[in-house]
Amino acid sequence: MRASTMDTERKANFSLAPNASQGLTMAQERIAVAVNELDLYYGDKRALNSINMQIARNRVTAFIGPSGCGKSTLLRCFNRMNDLVDACRIDGEITLDEDNIYNKGVDVAELRRRVGMVFQKPNPFPKSIYENVAYGLRIQGIKKKRLLDETVEWALKSAALWDEVKDRLHESALGMSGGQQQRLVIARTIAVKPEILLLDEPASALDPISTLKIEELIHELKKDFTIVIVTHNMQQAARVSDYTAFMYMGDLIEFGATDQLFTNPVQKQTEDYITGRYG
Amino acid sequence: MNITNKDAHVDHISQQFNAELDDILTQLMTMGGLVEQQLKDAMAALKEGDSALVQTAIKADQEVNGMEMHMDEQCTRIIARRQPAASDLRLIIAISKAVSDLERMGDEICGIATNAGKLIEEGAVDESYTQMRHISDLVATMVRDALTAFARYDADLAYEVAKRDNEVDKEYKFAMRALITQMMEDPRTIAQSMHTIWILRSLERVGDHAQNVAEHLFYLVKGVNVSHSSVEQMHATLDMDT
Amino acid sequence: MMRIGVKQWFASGSPWIWLNGAAVAISVIMVVGLLALIAVRGLGHFWPAAVLQAEVSVSGQLTAIIGSVADEEVVSADQLRDSGVILAAGQDSAKRLLIKAGNRDVTGADFVWVLEQDLRDITYPEDIITLERREWGNFYGRVVAVKEAGSVIAQRDSQTDTAIWRLLLQRVERSLAIYDDIYEIEKGAIGQINYGMERLRLRQRGLELKGQLTPVAQAELDAERDLLNQRYEGLQQQLVDLYTAFERDSMIGETMSGQQLEINLSKIVRAFRANAMTGPQKVSFYASKLWEFVSAEPREANTEGGVFPAIFGTVMMVLLMSVMVTPFGVVAAVYLREYARQGPITRIIRIAVNNLAGVPSIVYGVFGLGFFIYFLGGNIDQLFFPEAAPAPTFGTPGLLWASLTLALLTVPVVIVATEEGLSRIPRAVREGSLALGATKAETLWRVVLPMASPAMMTGVILAVARAAGEVAPLMLVGVVKLAPSLPLDGNYPYLHLDQKFMHLGFHIYDVGFQSPNVEAARPLVYATALLLVLVIALLNLSAVAIRNRLREKYKALES
Repeated sequence: MRASTMDTERKANFSLAPNASQGLTMAQERIAVAVNELDLYYGDKRALNSINMQIARNRVTAFIGPSGCGKSTLLRCFNRMNDLVDACRIDGEITLDEDNIYNKGVDVAELRRRVGMVFQKPNPFPKSIYENVAYGLRIQGIKKKRLLDETVEWALKSAALWDEVKDRLHESALGMSGGQQQRLVIARTIAVKPEILLLDEPASALDPISTLKIEELIHELKKDFTIVIVTHNMQQAARVSDYTAFMYMGDLIEFGATDQLFTNPVQKQTEDYITGRYG
Repeated sequence: MNITNKDAHVDHISQQFNAELDDILTQLMTMGGLVEQQLKDAMAALKEGDSALVQTAIKADQEVNGMEMHMDEQCTRIIARRQPAASDLRLIIAISKAVSDLERMGDEICGIATNAGKLIEEGAVDESYTQMRHISDLVATMVRDALTAFARYDADLAYEVAKRDNEVDKEYKFAMRALITQMMEDPRTIAQSMHTIWILRSLERVGDHAQNVAEHLFYLVKGVNVSHSSVEQMHATLDMDT
Repeated sequence: MMRIGVKQWFASGSPWIWLNGAAVAISVIMVVGLLALIAVRGLGHFWPAAVLQAEVSVSGQLTAIIGSVADEEVVSADQLRDSGVILAAGQDSAKRLLIKAGNRDVTGADFVWVLEQDLRDITYPEDIITLERREWGNFYGRVVAVKEAGSVIAQRDSQTDTAIWRLLLQRVERSLAIYDDIYEIEKGAIGQINYGMERLRLRQRGLELKGQLTPVAQAELDAERDLLNQRYEGLQQQLVDLYTAFERDSMIGETMSGQQLEINLSKIVRAFRANAMTGPQKVSFYASKLWEFVSAEPREANTEGGVFPAIFGTVMMVLLMSVMVTPFGVVAAVYLREYARQGPITRIIRIAVNNLAGVPSIVYGVFGLGFFIYFLGGNIDQLFFPEAAPAPTFGTPGLLWASLTLALLTVPVVIVATEEGLSRIPRAVREGSLALGATKAETLWRVVLPMASPAMMTGVILAVARAAGEVAPLMLVGVVKLAPSLPLDGNYPYLHLDQKFMHLGFHIYDVGFQSPNVEAARPLVYATALLLVLVIALLNLSAVAIRNRLREKYKALES
């Protein structure tokens, strides 16, 4: 660097925040979900320790961490999927639009309509493609064929699947490829128009090309949905997410903009994990 | 996060990756050593009027160029195969940039040697050398320190190198002014002075590249890009993190 | 060296493969052998066996014999001597034939044992006729004359055998046609009237019990009764006419001993000349006999005729049982697997359910009798059918209780199979449904149960297999030797759950061991056994077919 290249304007712009170029800071985001002092126990075992974090609206937040670190468990707290597990106890709160979803009297089915979830392995129902997508709507009691047709088409288009399946909507969903099935499951989930989309390792069972399609889809869906994704694949987290949370042994170690986390993490544990030093 | 350990690049789970990083760092040091020696040779040629050393310095540039090509390839390969993140990513980027700066240094030194050869032919070596001795010492130290900083992940030393560039700039301006005065007073020395000016300018450029290398190291260690920022700001970063 | 060789041979696993192969081979041989045995023994019965005519010389005395060989066996000479038969010295054994000579009304027995060596002049004359009769078993002999309304219209002396035979066949056909009409009126129309009368009686009694038998109601009932009576009178008149026509013709037959016998044609079911039949005729005869066996009602204490009511009863009972056991078993399994808290109590219940499958079936029969029939049925009668008292309606063995008892017997199988199926549904699919905002019940109903349906069908298949073969408990709760009518007919309410019914398994037992004519019934035992196997196989196969279709539908998720 030469002295002649320095000028005052650049000095003014210089910020100590390494992600200044991207300008993503939590302070500027609208918050979709806030987690406050969340503890989770499986029986006597504590699986999550005082988690505090905020999920930004219309952003992709990725949870990374080694197996058993609690990232999936935390994800499942957002739509109360952990309720299905016996002996699972939760302290603290998760607020969605200012309301604690763990309050008494919360309609869990209604909550799950607002917070959709896609699982690790594609899990289409043994029904036709159309019926898979219409499932959530039928559950809500929607019977009007036109409305169903429109929504199914919209969802399949949103999931970038329409062109591939429009001629075989009434064939079994089980005849599709794994990648198509996973996109069908995403279509099925967004058909009920949730606010938040939880993706639990959505591409871990897929080949690289299908994975890229899913990632591209996540990028598209970000416009309409707030997305939280759990992934084992750090590169995937780096590629798709705006914010990344690194978890370890039930603790939230580091949470910040993805750009920072993957170039210059603050915590040594994060650094060690993402550079392959962990263990 | 900051790199605090000088073996930080060799404690991955993948031993292969460790070996690759270690190898490329060693090569960087070798290349740095080559450039250092080249500079020493060029300046010695000037000091002693030894045209053989001029040839040595010019020839060394080919080797430096070859190393640059080789290391560029290696960096690309590591990025493609390892997809390094965080400090590893910064290490590869810093090495890649430092290699390119070292190569440019080599080119500049080659220019110095060529001009030194011409000065030797004209028999005006002694006078020229005294004019640039101070700046050449400064630049040589900068190069050496920048490489040492790299070898030790020493951000403080890198900061020192960056700071010293200001001195070089000052010396450069001072020497230029003296030479311009000399040329105005005695137009017969113009040809000789021009060679000296070229050498001075190259030395100043070598100093700039040495500073760049130090900045890459600073980025590597601190995770903060300090190109185009003031030395004071570098200092602030140092204080903040350590 | 040798020891190592043997060791290696064992280590290579080939002994086990051989062992497995042998076990499979033995099983296959046993199954095939069993089926072949009952098929040969049972199906041979319907073939028109050649009728021989011969002289039997016993101690120098000659008697004529006509009949077909039903069985043969080699008996040791000593045994024969012990029973008083005189044999040539030095003879070790003799072949003994069982000859079906028929003419029970003359000789008192259908079958005679004859030593083969005693038979002389064996011929197979074409003019010997066989008559299958509604009573007294078969008639073997010759036609002497055919009579119409007591006067002879054809006679051996004046006409050829063939001509008389043709005439006889014509007349038999005519009488069979009239018999069908009579049957239709008696079982159909008159049966309906009787049923209607019974209902009227019950209605009147019901009103009486409630104290609502007003003169108006009484008049109404009487009017209806008169109507029925009038229809009955009409039918009765028709019947009298038909019977007159039916009994118009008769024939005179001559037995082997030359004795003449007048047989009314109304008593004849089938007349044929086995020795005169050509190959295709025999085949078509065989087919019609087989058809009669599966489609007709039994005659002569179940030893003749068909077993249709038993087939119908078996199938009906199995279907009813399936209809009852499936929902019950599925609901129980769903509760146990999906809703009940998994803990020691559910574990105990599961063990209990599994052990229930091991309780001897007769115990279920006793339970059915004690609980269903006497307790439940008795109370139902008191509450809903007081007008029929003291005759029980549901307080007596019947189709409903038999089905219910068997349902109870097989419910553990369905529960276990369904639970197994439910536990195999991937958690991911349930979660997928729940994550879409479905409640647990919606998830169960829309996703889990359809996917578990192949497993349920497996349970039903196992239940059917077990239930169709049960006899012991049924004897206590509803099966009878001879049911007067089918449990499903055209009279309201069409399905008569309170009626007793016939069952193939019990039919086998009855024909084989309770029959007055064991020799005649033995082939029927085999034939019925084969039929039972076929019916069960058919029921199972249809269930398997349904299951396979379901499985195909949900195939990808089985892995």
